[in-house]
Amino acid sequence: MIKFKGVLGRRALLSGIAATAMLVMGGAAIAQDISGELAILQWQGGVDAEMWKKLEADFVAQHPGVSVRELTITAQGDARGGIRTAILGGEKVDIIINTWPAFRKELADAGILRGLDDQWAGLGLESTLSQSWRDLGVSDGVSYGVPYTYGDRSGIWYKTSHLKDAGVEVPKTWEDFIAAIKTLKAAGYDTPIPMPGKYWAHGEWFESLLLRTGGVEAAAKLAAHEIPWTDEVVKTALRKYAEMLEAGCCGTPEQMFAGDWDLSADQIFKADAGNFLLLGMWVNARAKGDYGLTEGVDYSLFQFPALGMGHDDTSSVDAKELLVTANGENPEAADAFLTYIVSPEATKILAEYGYASPSSNADTSLLGPVQQQATAAVAASKVQFVLGDLLPGDLVDEYRVQLQKFLQDPSDANIDAVTAAIEAKAAESY
Amino acid sequence: MSMSAADAAARSSQVSSPVGGGRRKPVAVRRRRLGETPAAWLLIIPVLILFSITVIYPLVETIRLSFFDIKGLGKPKFIGTGNYIKLFTDPAFRNTLWTTLVFTLGTTTITVSLGWFLAMLCSFAPQRTLPFRVMIFAAFGISEAVSGYMWISMLRPDQAGLLNSVIGLFSPGFAHPWLGDPNTALWMIIVAASWSGVGLPLMLCFAAVQAIPKTVLEAAYMDGAKPFAIMRFIMVPLSMPGVRVAIFINLLGALRAFDIIYVLTGGGPVRSTETVGYFMYRESMTQFKLGYGAAATVILLVAVMVISIPAIIQRTAGAK
Repeated sequence: MIKFKGVLGRRALLSGIAATAMLVMGGAAIAQDISGELAILQWQGGVDAEMWKKLEADFVAQHPGVSVRELTITAQGDARGGIRTAILGGEKVDIIINTWPAFRKELADAGILRGLDDQWAGLGLESTLSQSWRDLGVSDGVSYGVPYTYGDRSGIWYKTSHLKDAGVEVPKTWEDFIAAIKTLKAAGYDTPIPMPGKYWAHGEWFESLLLRTGGVEAAAKLAAHEIPWTDEVVKTALRKYAEMLEAGCCGTPEQMFAGDWDLSADQIFKADAGNFLLLGMWVNARAKGDYGLTEGVDYSLFQFPALGMGHDDTSSVDAKELLVTANGENPEAADAFLTYIVSPEATKILAEYGYASPSSNADTSLLGPVQQQATAAVAASKVQFVLGDLLPGDLVDEYRVQLQKFLQDPSDANIDAVTAAIEAKAAESY
Repeated sequence: MSMSAADAAARSSQVSSPVGGGRRKPVAVRRRRLGETPAAWLLIIPVLILFSITVIYPLVETIRLSFFDIKGLGKPKFIGTGNYIKLFTDPAFRNTLWTTLVFTLGTTTITVSLGWFLAMLCSFAPQRTLPFRVMIFAAFGISEAVSGYMWISMLRPDQAGLLNSVIGLFSPGFAHPWLGDPNTALWMIIVAASWSGVGLPLMLCFAAVQAIPKTVLEAAYMDGAKPFAIMRFIMVPLSMPGVRVAIFINLLGALRAFDIIYVLTGGGPVRSTETVGYFMYRESMTQFKLGYGAAATVILLVAVMVISIPAIIQRTAGAK
């Protein structure tokens, strides 16, 4: 039998028990205060959808009075059309999952979102999310988005055996990278970078090159059209892109246009016919789940090579955030969910699915080695949101088509033509 | 009896005689129709309501939207014919008109000519070719999205693609990115769309050939006509009603094509396979420029009407 005498006084012990009991009962009382249905607009599929079910179930377990209704939008690619249709069709939800800053602004301008500035501290977000993460969710000076996961978009994925067998070190500089492409070609890989140029993924290379040539400031200005697309910084980034193409990285334009990123991933991790893929963190789930590879052993990633132009401390990132609506029927439950999504319990579930959380409650040791590497790289970088998600809808479409034209002809003359065409569209889009 | 027979004869003359009774016929017809009006309206009202909700209202709403500038969830702004003016100065839309024309003519030519040719062959042995016709027609029932995914695997850019591997038998190592090459992507889509579309013209033309009276064919045989002559002078001309219907249906389907393009190329590469139907989707659903997309829809609707109205008038000209 444990004797407390001499260690803790009886009065102190009783006070402690009473305080704990009050805290527990108080917590239960708070949890019971929230009730009713919480409607979440969800558009993710596959393992992400599965992860959301788990998060919702965990939230309901903590708040038994709440039931969660998922309004599921089925979409291939960009889900914004489906979300808009649901909202215009009269659907009322409390929470919208979002990944497009431009769309957040559109929703805010339409009066659909509820600003969170007054509640930010009260919901416990101030202590769990740093100011830079809070800033990512701001539109027109108002905090709307609560980021719950993010990904490194300047990480280049590779299969370790490819580099080892070809005698290639992980490239640190641009020159190393170009030399690695040539060495891999000599080792029998026709397309060291199976460029996914069918829809949007060919823009990833341009966006990281833009950051490394002009920095986050230039990229932010370009996204806001405060500098024109004909600016020298854009052309310099495209010229660097051209260097890669001239080194024979990616095969013919027809080969690049033939597939999306999933085909490129197949080429690298399954068919052993290519080597490098610049894409988001969802490659991690695919490499483990679809190809049965071991993270950090069979495959890994390295940060975009240094260009030596003064902006090598930059990375492109994506993030997913939660937005609460102004017309939702259960704002209390929505607020509770915002607090929950940055909690240790939620970040643990995210980590189980390989996703990093920006919350200070997140335990990064739960992440795999490659994910930890990417998380550390982002933490050490000046970050800029993916350019394509910041641009207005009609401009981003033109931007991707013009980049395809650039891939067809990466000459200086065509760089002028391509940038002029994007600028013409930008002039009418803002 | 005699009275009623006379009455019937009089009525008959009022209705059918083009001369003499011509002035009196409309009166008689109008009287009878007026007499039937309440019952007719009672029967037709449910259909009219449904038709108004599902066809007229969306049509009017689409035309109305086409006069507004709508961006995303923003408030609509009336701009008159601005969307139409912008459409015809938009190089992307002009390009879709050409692509739509090539796609429409290409698929219609291939499906109808192939369907007609197969129908001619099948008509020589209708019983024995039944499983063959069923198999071809079954492809018509497959969703374009599903057949699109099947064609993606066949047209893979590497040597694992069926088409590349077949050509690779004669040219080892051959690998062409059929859907990545702007010069071949549209033709591949035409082939894929035609594959699933050939069943309908086959059935229509086969039905037309089967409807040829046996006496005509027997008379030709008795007159010593050879099989080629029978085909040329009897079967080909008398199968033309089926061909016309097949052309009409294929033209309408091809003009509105979307699914297979969405699945195979997403309108690319470099917008080389973007038809009006896909453009409409991209503007309306991806970029949510509903007014601009609606204007493209109205133009597509006009194109469909230009083709369908004369065809419908021709088809119903002889109907009573």
